[in-house]
Amino acid sequence: MSWSKIAAVIRREYMERVRTKAFWIGTFLIPIVFIGYIAIQIATSRKTSGERKIAVVDGTGRLFAPLEKDLRAREQERARQSKDKDESGQTPEDRVRAASAAGRRGIHWVLEHRGRGLNLEQTEDGLRREVLDKKIQGYLILSPDLMTRDPAEAEYHSTSVSEFVTLEELRESVNRVVLKEKIARRGLPPELSIELEKRVRLNSFKVTEEGSTEEKGGGIFAALMLMFIMYMTFFMYGFQNLKGVIEEKTNRIVEIIIASVRPTELMLGKIIGIGLVGLTQYVVWSLVAMNLSLPGIASLMAGGEMGVPTIRFAVIGYFMLFFLLGYFLYASIYTAIGAPFNTDQEAQQLAMVPGSFMVGVWAVFPAIMNNPNGGTAVFASLFPMTAPLVMFMRTAISEPPVWQILASIVILIVSTVAMAWIAGRIYRVGILMYGKKPTIPEIVRWVRYSPGRSLQPAVNEPK
Amino acid sequence: MTPAIELENVSKIFGKFPAVDGLSFRVPQGVAFGLLGPNGAGKTTTIRMIMNITAPDRGEIRILGNPMDRETQNRIGYLPEERGLYRKMKVIDHLLFLAAIKGVSRDVAKKRIDTWLEKMELRPWLRKKVDELSKGMQQKVQFIATIVHDPEILILDEPFSGLDPINTALMKDYFQEFRARGKTIVFSTHVLEQAEKLCDEICLLARSKKILEGSLSDLKKRYSGDLLLLSVDAKPGEIGSLPGVASSQPANGGYLITLTPGTDHRDFLRRALELYPVRAFSQKEPDLEEIYMDAVRAAGLEESRQIE
Repeated sequence: MSWSKIAAVIRREYMERVRTKAFWIGTFLIPIVFIGYIAIQIATSRKTSGERKIAVVDGTGRLFAPLEKDLRAREQERARQSKDKDESGQTPEDRVRAASAAGRRGIHWVLEHRGRGLNLEQTEDGLRREVLDKKIQGYLILSPDLMTRDPAEAEYHSTSVSEFVTLEELRESVNRVVLKEKIARRGLPPELSIELEKRVRLNSFKVTEEGSTEEKGGGIFAALMLMFIMYMTFFMYGFQNLKGVIEEKTNRIVEIIIASVRPTELMLGKIIGIGLVGLTQYVVWSLVAMNLSLPGIASLMAGGEMGVPTIRFAVIGYFMLFFLLGYFLYASIYTAIGAPFNTDQEAQQLAMVPGSFMVGVWAVFPAIMNNPNGGTAVFASLFPMTAPLVMFMRTAISEPPVWQILASIVILIVSTVAMAWIAGRIYRVGILMYGKKPTIPEIVRWVRYSPGRSLQPAVNEPK
Repeated sequence: MTPAIELENVSKIFGKFPAVDGLSFRVPQGVAFGLLGPNGAGKTTTIRMIMNITAPDRGEIRILGNPMDRETQNRIGYLPEERGLYRKMKVIDHLLFLAAIKGVSRDVAKKRIDTWLEKMELRPWLRKKVDELSKGMQQKVQFIATIVHDPEILILDEPFSGLDPINTALMKDYFQEFRARGKTIVFSTHVLEQAEKLCDEICLLARSKKILEGSLSDLKKRYSGDLLLLSVDAKPGEIGSLPGVASSQPANGGYLITLTPGTDHRDFLRRALELYPVRAFSQKEPDLEEIYMDAVRAAGLEESRQIE
């Protein structure tokens, strides 16, 4: 191993990639897309503001007025709260939260009282017409026996029933009004309703070796972001290795290079160089994120209810470890896949294989989230192709047994070394292979041969 | 003095077919050595084995007395038949990279590249991408890349193929200069006239085997007795049927006669003078093509001649 030669290869791979316009466009475009995504989130949450004009068919005959009053009271309460927040919002996080709260401030309910008419069905037909003609956004039917029935049910009809914020607000109001009405009927003091409305909040805490820390979801969110970064790196930068190998073959430069550099050195240099390009991109991104305040964005995305993401130091350590191992594993795999072929197209079929393992992680993702120490999770965190992503995720959201973490690391190291070795052998033979597309059995044979044996078949030779 | 390159009974088999079969030769230091033969004779394979790009199945290769190692590798300039370039790299970066992997420090490399780009009139293209260069300019870049580390041995596979006349002249000039500095050049070609002008020593390959090796002047001496130019009035068949004639072909008012090896040309001339009116005769120095043909014939490999 000549490190100065490897360094020369790293330098070339790095400089040539970082200098391209495509790199910088990609580097800045992805955060822009990301920010745009958040902007859309905010914009759509704003959409729940504005006027909601609905008709209320009050079968009970006494809920309309309290309901209208309750909704109005809520509206005022919200307005006051967000005003306070605007004034006190000093940190970026607060500002983002305030903005998101402001986004939701605006629902202004306008209720119209409607009689049942002679026939509820006829009335409903009329209301439906009005909704379709956009005279009203929806209508609420409170049946006469609402107060006595169990389960108590009311109906809300609208063209859009997926506006969760809107529905939630209406539901809460109806419940509150019914509760108050029930209390009043029994002759109990009305303040009781305030007491009864108070719910117990269940806060979740994560038990770790260092003690218990409150988990507000921010940590999980941040861990998922890191996992996603890992996934993207394996995918995008892993694939860059495949492309790089094929490019050198198509250029016919590789024969000149390996007259000076050993194939293993060239391979290693490429993998490291490309990996550094990826790291550069992340540094740029984290600088962007720091300015925009990632925690703020994180909490905004989860509805503003999470705390500042707290990532344990150990999790960062695991991230770096699994990130490196995973990248080397995937880069070796992609290198091995690229080396025998002459065009991206030829390699495409096989290039799907590593990708499918990573996609597979997302398939079992919910199962792992629900049960981070279940069978699926344990298997996926030991299987080398999925281990970096899954084991990292498990360390972030739960406390897996130490033996499993160690086993995962050992298996991963062994497979990475083995894969690099196999890739090196395929690479050494493959990079000088031109002509017909080799078959998989042929490629397997390359791995088995020792360096001194004849490998290049006659296709390689001058006509 | 240790030979620059030495091959001992080297073989390389691809599948069932030997690409190189029991090849041995020596390249003394400071000579221009031509590896000659038709396409498919095994030249590229031989060169790749010398460069340690492919390993021989049998035999031994020594460069300056030892098997190829990192140290030696850095002292060799190699231009493969398929001359590649990183198309998207700038000329200067390309050359700096190739110098770096030959172990040349950046500062030294910069100075040398500068000199060469000046010499080759490529200075204005320094910061252009390789892609933007004309083919002729790309060839110059490839050439500079081969010699940027000031190698002691140059190994070139078909260096003249595809070169425009200007670059061919440039390359030949550099050959002379390089040899004048006592360095060794090994190159392969299937164009015998080129080899004849540039080589001190040759090795002829045909069908994976060596059929001839030696210094060009020795070979010419050895074969010159066999080639006679005879000005004579005679029918083609008559000359051809004389004893000791391997072949004869009409040439400016007479015949160019190749004698079978071992025939004393004086015996042949005596016969000819007796039988026909010979106006003039001369001994012709054979050119490389004739030597080649002769050697192929002698090796019984005539059908393998496919010189383009």
